[in-house]
Amino acid sequence: MVSIRAEDLRLVYRVREKLSLAPRLTPRTGGTIGTDGRHRLVTALDGVSFELKAGDRLGLVGPNGAGKTTLLKVLYGIYEPSGGRLTVEGRVDALFNISLGFRQEATGRRNIMLRGLINGWNEDEIAARAEEIIAFSELGDFIDMPYKSYSQGMAARLAFSIATTLEPQILLMDEWIGAGDASFQEKAKRRMDELAEKAGIIVLASHNRELLKRTCNRTLEMEKGRVKGFV
Amino acid sequence: MLPILQSAITDMQGAIARRRVWIVLASEDISDQHRRTTLGPFWLLINYLCFAATFIFIFHAGPLDRSYAIYVATGSWIWFYIMEIITLGTSVFVREESFIKGTNLPLSVYVMRATLQSVIRAAYGLIGCVLVLILMQAPVTIVWLWSILGIAIVVAVTPAVLAVFGFLGVYFPDSQYVITNLMRVAMFATPVFWQINAASEGGLRGILYHWNPLTYFLEIVRTPVTDGSVPVRAFVICVIVAVSFWALAIGLLGALRRQVALAI
Repeated sequence: MVSIRAEDLRLVYRVREKLSLAPRLTPRTGGTIGTDGRHRLVTALDGVSFELKAGDRLGLVGPNGAGKTTLLKVLYGIYEPSGGRLTVEGRVDALFNISLGFRQEATGRRNIMLRGLINGWNEDEIAARAEEIIAFSELGDFIDMPYKSYSQGMAARLAFSIATTLEPQILLMDEWIGAGDASFQEKAKRRMDELAEKAGIIVLASHNRELLKRTCNRTLEMEKGRVKGFV
Repeated sequence: MLPILQSAITDMQGAIARRRVWIVLASEDISDQHRRTTLGPFWLLINYLCFAATFIFIFHAGPLDRSYAIYVATGSWIWFYIMEIITLGTSVFVREESFIKGTNLPLSVYVMRATLQSVIRAAYGLIGCVLVLILMQAPVTIVWLWSILGIAIVVAVTPAVLAVFGFLGVYFPDSQYVITNLMRVAMFATPVFWQINAASEGGLRGILYHWNPLTYFLEIVRTPVTDGSVPVRAFVICVIVAVSFWALAIGLLGALRRQVALAI
C-alpha cells in the first residue's frame, strides 16, 4: 500500500567551519539558525508530522526558507532526518531540477535513457516507454536534436514526461511547473490526476497557491521548518 | 563501528545495483570531452606520446637509450594515472553537487563514475605505452604478467583513493589547490623519469626514492617490464597502502555519506 507517514521529523545540522581561507557559513537549507554554545546549528525541519495515503495530492506551501524543499529531499532520502520517524511505502521518483542529468550534447531521445537510469529505472523499462514519453512531451522531431537546442519549456516538458510516464507510486515535485506553456500545464495537471487516481501520491511544493488549489486535495503549510497547518 | 560498516556496504551495494548509471555516464563523459574534435578520445593517446617523447628525446642527453625509453614510457603512463586520480579525487563529490542534492544515488556511484573515466583515459595512454615498447623492442617475458597484477592493484585502490580525497575536498575546499600543487612537486620527487644508482643512493634522490610511497606503485607496474624481475617489497607495500586506503574510505563513507549533501 502506497503511503507516507512522518512523525515529529527533525533535521538539525551543524554549520561546519570549513578549513578554508574563505569559510562559507551560509545554511544549505531553510529553517532557523541557532547555537549549542559551541557550534552554529540550523534547524531545517522541526517536529513535522503528517500522513498521506494512496490518492493524496499534497501541496506544500510557505515562504522561502520555510523548509518545503528540505522536506521533499528528506522524503526522497537525500537528507537523513536527525530525529523523528519517516515511513515511505512505494516507489519514489522526484522532479526537483529540470535539467539535472540532461546532457547538452545528447539528443532528447538519449537523454530519456540517461534521465531514466538516474531516476532508478532500468533500460528495458525506459525503452518500453520511450515512445510514450516522446508523444506526451510533444517535442516531435526535436527529440532527435541535441538538448542544448531546447528552450526551458521544452526541457520541462521532457523532464515531466519522463518522470510521470514511468509511473512512480510517489512523485515529488519542486516548483517545476513554472516552465511550460498553459496548454502543457493543463495536460500536466491531467497526468497528475491520473497518477493519483492510480493510487499514487504526489507531493508538490510551489508558491503558486492557485495551481496548488487546482491540483492538490491536501495542503501542508510550513514556516521556519515547522508545520503551520495541515488540511 | 558496525553501523558505519553497514552504512558503507549499503552505499557500495547500491552503486553495484545502479552500475548502468555510472557506466553510461562515464562513457558519455569521455565522448563529450572530445565531441567536437576530429580525433576524439585519441587525443588522450597523443597527449601521452607527446609527454613520453619529451622525456625520451629531450631530458635524456646523448643518443637514444632504449632501456631509458622503456623506463620512461611505463613510468609516465602509470604516473599520469596516479596523478589524475589523486587530483580528480578532491572534486569527485563537489563537482557532483547538483546530483547529490537532486537524486538519491549512492555516493559510490560518483566514485565509480570517476574511476571508470580514469580507467578509460588510461586505456588510450596504454596504447601509446605499448607502441613505445614495441618500437624500443622491449624483450617480452613471462614476468610481464606481474605488471598486469600491478595494474590491477592500482585500479583496485582507485575507488578508495577517489573517495578519501573526495571527502577531503568536501570538508577542506582548499585541498583541491593544495593537492594539485603537491602533485606537481611529487612528479619530480617520484622516479618517473629519473633513476637511482649507487652514486645517488645516499643523497636526496635516494631519500625520495625510498620514502615516497608513489615510487612503489610505479615499481609494481614498471620493474617487471624494465628489469624482468618481481619487486616483491614494492608489491607488499602497495597492498598495505591499498588496504589502508580502503579501510579509511569505508570508514569515511559509512560515517559521512548522509552528511555530504548538507556539507557541499
